[in-house]
Amino acid sequence: MNSLAIVETVLRNRRRFFAEIREGVGLGEKVRAMLVASIAFFALYGAVMGSTHSLWQTLSSAVKLPVLFLATLVVCSPTLYFFNLIFGSNQSLVQNFTLILTAITVTAVLLLSFAPILLFFLLTTSSYQFFKLLNVGIFTISGIVGVIFLTQGMRIVSAGGKEGAGARWAVVRLWILVYGFVGSQMAWTLRPFIGAPSMRFELFRQLGGNFYANIFASIGEILGFVTVR
Amino acid sequence: MEDQPSSRMNQIFDLLVEEIEERIQVRSRSMPPVRPPVSPPTEAAPPPPPARVEREEALPEPQVEVKRHPLDPEPEPELLPVSQGPSHAARMMGRLALGLLVAIVLINIPFNRHGTTLATAMPDSAALVVLDGLVVKEEDGEEIYVYQNDQFRWISSLDAFEHFGFTWGDVHIVEDGYLDRFEIGTPLHVLLKCHSSPHIYRLERGEKRWIRDIATFEAEGHVWEDVRFVSCTYLRGLPDGETIPPGSGPPPQP
Repeated sequence: MNSLAIVETVLRNRRRFFAEIREGVGLGEKVRAMLVASIAFFALYGAVMGSTHSLWQTLSSAVKLPVLFLATLVVCSPTLYFFNLIFGSNQSLVQNFTLILTAITVTAVLLLSFAPILLFFLLTTSSYQFFKLLNVGIFTISGIVGVIFLTQGMRIVSAGGKEGAGARWAVVRLWILVYGFVGSQMAWTLRPFIGAPSMRFELFRQLGGNFYANIFASIGEILGFVTVR
Repeated sequence: MEDQPSSRMNQIFDLLVEEIEERIQVRSRSMPPVRPPVSPPTEAAPPPPPARVEREEALPEPQVEVKRHPLDPEPEPELLPVSQGPSHAARMMGRLALGLLVAIVLINIPFNRHGTTLATAMPDSAALVVLDGLVVKEEDGEEIYVYQNDQFRWISSLDAFEHFGFTWGDVHIVEDGYLDRFEIGTPLHVLLKCHSSPHIYRLERGEKRWIRDIATFEAEGHVWEDVRFVSCTYLRGLPDGETIPPGSGPPPQP
């Protein structure tokens, strides 16, 4: 429960939380707590997503969703750290990691809060394309709020160093774009998370196509323009 | 009769004394320098009566405006310690997570012998993604079709169904008329042969149809991968159907 108390502090008292990251206070404890909470929340949301298909898909999505976010975090953290370093930041890699993990934890909490809604639609609708787009919408909203937390955190954590502040701010914005692209490609690589009802369970689907083309095709099918085959 | 006015007077005096006491306390609060330092309670100081405490709490605190220099750094807000114990939001998160876990387990428990769960119980013809390998059966029909190369192909026998590795879990029940929207391709047959016989038979609707020669075999579009080996006894037990091509004489027995 202590992990959840720390997560609650992120939500309620973020200025203090970010100030502590800036001072390097209890980073290990924070990272551990946020990792535990976000893995648990992502796993639960993933399990709800996969339940539309089969038990194997439920278990698979429960594992793959935390992997998706944590792998994206590991892939993208060094970029942010080194670019910030070049533009005069004095933050350590651990501080950067903790900051991004904060954003991911906020995303995880929001996904957890959306999970009952997803469960409701799972039990009351049968359209695969609708369910897929509903998930894209939920991930978009949660991701944006997480990124807002990240930018606020960056501002507070790097408040001390005035040198290159403008450039660092531009780096953060560019990094968020990169983070989005890496995340979406990672999701495409690790798919399926929901599992098309007409297909057998697959741990990973063969590569090909891309995330954005698939989303546009799904929107087209819901609006009646195309049939996804 | 004289007692009543005197008791009323006493009540009025009591109320007046209480009001005066209250006002004195309010004034002493709004003047901090005059307030005596807080000392630990002594035995001599009697505890205040509970009723008075309640009335004091009901009084609004005087608002004291603190003026800050514009250049002063913004003060840190009143902050909770990071590592404090779980409060209601943390408990809520924990309970929500636990509730979801229970719900996930419940909706994934099969409730019939086909392994249908609550999560997959919704009629899913609207949810179908038409891709190669999709197996469907219309609600009132008996024939099972598989989608291959932009066409639905009828699976002509149970042996063919099993030979191509389908299971009943793969079959999606769709509404009547669903297949009318699609092109229907050639049927999907399984060819049967036993080791001690050179003859090959095509199984259709439970009957074996002898294929006269290799030329016919190839002309019908069959490949050797379609041939399934079974026991000769099983093959002999199947009723004979029309030969391929029709009218090729009485079919030989395996």
